[in-house]
Amino acid sequence: MAEFLNIVAIGLLLGGIYSLVSVGLNLIFGVIRIVNFAQGEFVMLGMYGAFAAQVAMGMDPYIAPVVVAPALFALGCVVYWILLRPLQGEPMMQVFATFGLLMVLENVVLALTRGVSLSVNSAAAQISMSLGPVQMPLARILVLVAATVVAGALGWWLRVTLPGKAIRAVAQDRKAARLMGINVERMYMVSFGVGAALAGLAGCLLAPLYSMSPQIGMNFIMPAFAVVVLGGLGSVAGAYVGGFIVGLTEALAGFYLDPALKHAVLFLVFIAVLIIRPAGLFGVAGAEEVGLREQS
Amino acid sequence: MSNREQRLAWRKTGGVKTLRHELPVTFGALAALGALVAAMSGDSFTLNILASTFLFAGLATAWNVIGGLGGQFSLGHSVFFAIGAFTVSNLYLGLQVSPWLALLPAALLSAVLGVLISWPVFRLRGPFFAIATMAMTEVLLSLSLYFDRFTGGSRGVSIPFRAGLQNMIFRDRLSYALLMLGFLAVCLVVMAAVTRSRLGYSLQAVRDNEDAAAAAGIDVLRTKLAGMAISAALTGMGGVLYIMYVRVADPPTLFSLFDIGVKMALIALIGGIGTIYGPMLGALLIIPLESWLRAELGGSIPGANLIVLGFILMLTALFLRRGIVGGLKRLWSRPGAAKGAGR
Repeated sequence: MAEFLNIVAIGLLLGGIYSLVSVGLNLIFGVIRIVNFAQGEFVMLGMYGAFAAQVAMGMDPYIAPVVVAPALFALGCVVYWILLRPLQGEPMMQVFATFGLLMVLENVVLALTRGVSLSVNSAAAQISMSLGPVQMPLARILVLVAATVVAGALGWWLRVTLPGKAIRAVAQDRKAARLMGINVERMYMVSFGVGAALAGLAGCLLAPLYSMSPQIGMNFIMPAFAVVVLGGLGSVAGAYVGGFIVGLTEALAGFYLDPALKHAVLFLVFIAVLIIRPAGLFGVAGAEEVGLREQS
Repeated sequence: MSNREQRLAWRKTGGVKTLRHELPVTFGALAALGALVAAMSGDSFTLNILASTFLFAGLATAWNVIGGLGGQFSLGHSVFFAIGAFTVSNLYLGLQVSPWLALLPAALLSAVLGVLISWPVFRLRGPFFAIATMAMTEVLLSLSLYFDRFTGGSRGVSIPFRAGLQNMIFRDRLSYALLMLGFLAVCLVVMAAVTRSRLGYSLQAVRDNEDAAAAAGIDVLRTKLAGMAISAALTGMGGVLYIMYVRVADPPTLFSLFDIGVKMALIALIGGIGTIYGPMLGALLIIPLESWLRAELGGSIPGANLIVLGFILMLTALFLRRGIVGGLKRLWSRPGAAKGAGR
């Protein structure tokens, strides 16, 4: 029993990581339907940003989002305006363009760091908490808490506030949104920037957990797409739960089958859901078509 | 194609262009490449680059059958590449079958697997299809690492150097360059034949509008599966040639998303998606450029070749969606017709 509880705890904490990494992609791909393969690289930049903040200003990685998130917001806005605005409604070209961006970001960081793997320190990284028979490192619990808070805040922002409503309107029908007086291009740019900033936040909070390498973004991007699609496109709550589904699947398959097979099981589940229910577990049926239809 | 070109082609052939009209161009292009190999026959450095250029030209052409003509942007073709490579490594090392004979089962196995994998995945459209093929790559990579009896696990397989024509292992680089040119020739002829066949027109109809194609009586799923089978079979053969060329390979290399799966697609994109010769032109540009950058800058700036490639990819997506061939066509046609040919 203790063993099973430990596996579940590991899965849930892993799920927290995946949920946190996926919130940004959820906004960018789930809500405004821009295919962004460079999202993992935004997380990677967040990690290196935390490192830079620590080296330059002695900042703890848990405070670093104060500078890193705005920086990534600005980067996201620039990327959207230059690279993705001309590619509206052409998802396949977005795939190629963001793949190009991924290669550039990854290798620029590689060239700057010359492939030396880096790490940050935080006072919180050493502490471990125990709950009955289960041991949990504090750094991972903080990630889980952050994922919950961020997902809740994002859901509230999209549902209640005026900019949130404008973003959803723009995703559903660009023309009608423009007729309602919404500045469509600016809404897209802000959403993309916020998505990038959330990735930066995730990167900062994950920095104490990993030793950094420029290729680390690739470890996040496929699970992140799995989370967003599994949970349901456009559903913030769905993506939050999707993270735990992915984390638990990976932990359980890794323990009870074979660690080598955990990704095979995970992605087979993902492909199965994609085929049987393309709108995801919590999405509205037909949601996968929103924003990919031809629009003027 | 501009109106004028279309009218000219119509007048010349009295109807639809057929394979018979295409083959002279295909063989002309191949002869030019053969002459290039002959001119470089003493320079083994250049021959090496030419060999991998022709290999990737063939692979990108193979991708183009389903990706370009059919509009199904697979990013998981490395799966078929790896299947081909592991088929030959098992047949050659285990059963001493000549790699030449192993080409056939490798192609067949890749085609069968291509159909089986794609059957469910073809329900998905656009980016969802691309994401699913990427996930499929991850699944098969994990499986291949797990079943290490066939793949050598993370150590991979190595093929001992036993030079000889029947072993497809050569001492000189010239033979490899010619071997890869032969592969490119097969791919180009198949692509030309498919483009000018009923299947090719069905694939293009499916690409342009699936619902309209279905309404016109085209069996959409079967068309896509046929295109995928041909594309996968050619890719599997490419995998055979690759592993006999490098003689050492592990699953992460063969299933590599960047170095194989995405690269095939991006070479086709840069050259011109859906055109017969675009992928070949793309490879002729990209592969030598990449190896030059790696040789010039790789020591001082690690990854510089990939930075340049990334920028080329972004610029192509933004400004040259029809690739080199589309760009040339736009220059070719009169300025008045440029609007129609551009996009």
